[in-house]
Amino acid sequence: MSQLNEMPNPLHLDGPNDERARATTSFESAVVPLWRQRLRIFLQNKLAIASVVYLVLIVLFCYLGPIIWHSNQTNQAIALNNQTNAAPSLHHLLGTDGSGFDVFGRIMFGGEYSLSLGILAGFITIVVGTIYGMISGFIGGAVDATFMRILDALLSIPLIFLLLSLVTIFPRTSTNLIVIIGVIGWFGNARIIRGDALVIKELEYTQASRAMGAGWWHIVRRHVFPNSVSNVVTVATFAIADAILFLTTLGYLGLGIPAPATDWGTMLNNAAQVQPFYWWQVYPLAAIFILVIVAITYIGEALRDAFEVRLLER
Amino acid sequence: MLAYVVRRLLQSFVVFLIVMLITFSLPYFEPGGTLAPAYIVLSNHATPQAVHLWGVQHGIFHPFFVRFWDYFVQVCIHFNLGFSWRNNLSVWSLISLYVPRTIWLASLAFLLTLLIALPVGVVQASRRNSWFDYTMTNTLFVIYGIPAFLLSLFMINWFIFGTFHFQLPPTDGSALQIFTHPSEFIVPVVTLAVLNLAFFSRFMRSAVLDVLVQDYIRTAKAKGCSQRRVLYKHAFRNALGPIITIIGLSIPGLFGGALIIEEVFNYQGVGYETVYSAQYNDIPTVLGITLLITLFTLLGNLLADIGLGIVNPRIRVEGR
Repeated sequence: MSQLNEMPNPLHLDGPNDERARATTSFESAVVPLWRQRLRIFLQNKLAIASVVYLVLIVLFCYLGPIIWHSNQTNQAIALNNQTNAAPSLHHLLGTDGSGFDVFGRIMFGGEYSLSLGILAGFITIVVGTIYGMISGFIGGAVDATFMRILDALLSIPLIFLLLSLVTIFPRTSTNLIVIIGVIGWFGNARIIRGDALVIKELEYTQASRAMGAGWWHIVRRHVFPNSVSNVVTVATFAIADAILFLTTLGYLGLGIPAPATDWGTMLNNAAQVQPFYWWQVYPLAAIFILVIVAITYIGEALRDAFEVRLLER
Repeated sequence: MLAYVVRRLLQSFVVFLIVMLITFSLPYFEPGGTLAPAYIVLSNHATPQAVHLWGVQHGIFHPFFVRFWDYFVQVCIHFNLGFSWRNNLSVWSLISLYVPRTIWLASLAFLLTLLIALPVGVVQASRRNSWFDYTMTNTLFVIYGIPAFLLSLFMINWFIFGTFHFQLPPTDGSALQIFTHPSEFIVPVVTLAVLNLAFFSRFMRSAVLDVLVQDYIRTAKAKGCSQRRVLYKHAFRNALGPIITIIGLSIPGLFGGALIIEEVFNYQGVGYETVYSAQYNDIPTVLGITLLITLFTLLGNLLADIGLGIVNPRIRVEGR
């Protein structure tokens, strides 16, 4: 469960691409708005564009697909009229699963839950992590020490124990799962953001601003926040990927969204537990799922490049 | 230096207490109330008297703070983690049964990970933006995207039920079976190694890249060192510093990493026991394992920090 280890994200380590930096340096466009420059750097990354296109397609597939591809996904009694574990045919494009549900439609149905829960939970982790990290790093002193010790404690509890306790305590509704994953996932983010705030607080222009009598709110608003936006956005993308992975692991432990709803983790687990498994129940969904994670990671990388100050033309 | 170590030890102890407070309090919020475990332990036909007796025997009816104080004294003064509610064993004997099994599995996998990940990272960094770099980067991203349980189930499907017919590891028995029956452990060890691959090779790549832009590398090249000598004598050695730190920090994480593998391969180690105990409300066992892993984590952090303090005296002066 490498996703559960609270280590710095390995995909977050690569430096900016120097060749791209050279390519973007020119003297003519000193007044191009910041966001447009960032957009251009982002658009230069072909993999990132492909990833965005892929994610949009998957979202459309999951949310609009059921309008075109009608299939029963909630009524067990009707599903049992189908042959169980049937091979792919024109009637069932990806066959049926062990309960007789149409797999093609079920990928859409489970995807709605996986994607929306993952994104919302990732959003919670990033909001809580940013606020906690900013307060800790920016105020410093005793507050920082206290906050960091609490964070140390939370980081050294095995996540699986927190998870199992929280999931047993609260009923497993969608809202609760979002909150639980959000509450468990923010520790690493807080540490990254706090490190960022510590650096920015000591930069020359922040000190100059403070020397000229700026209040803390001014410094936070004008210096700390704009300078950490890049990290926040990057961390947010990886947080969403991690949240989706986390939800999948919950599905494996049998703690995913309870029936009659389902999510990709529960589906993958139910299908792959049968050994040897039926390929149509596992491989298509696994490919879609893994590519979603990879696509989000590529977008995160491209966003980090786009927000990298060294790559800008000013 | 001594003052630094003492201060860090005190901080670690405070963190340990916070962890103990959190983990001790969590079961209090269970929907069934504090007597919920009694119904599970005593199973279906428990009379109210039996449940009450069980509660009295286990001190359930004392106030929260009294119980926490008792537990604190028991753990921190007597080094006694209590008695399992589920198995007829003390928590220490359960731990001494399961920890070695996980340690051998995880450390062999860890060794394999490092043997593959470090060279891959170095070669990637030295040939940055080559086809090898791109291929490996994308492969590692895909590996990172596979959930641990799915990779394990795939490995079982391909290598145990598929064409190769490897054997599954035995569910229980001696921890040293990994050496007496190595062929049965190939699949779980390789799975666990592959799962950690992405993290370490990415880290190695970025560490070597950081070193390669330093002045002493340019000096080494200028004085006529061969490419190979620059890479392995100068770059690799200097990049090992951060790697050793991160290895120290990630050792406790190995327990967590092995958890899903143990679940899927039905191999009774620490992770398996944690999930099993948590599902069956065996609170002393869960608490004991949690505190033990916390202790490992804190010791790992402490050793890494002290190591850094020895290497870099500025950290000591700043006194984080």
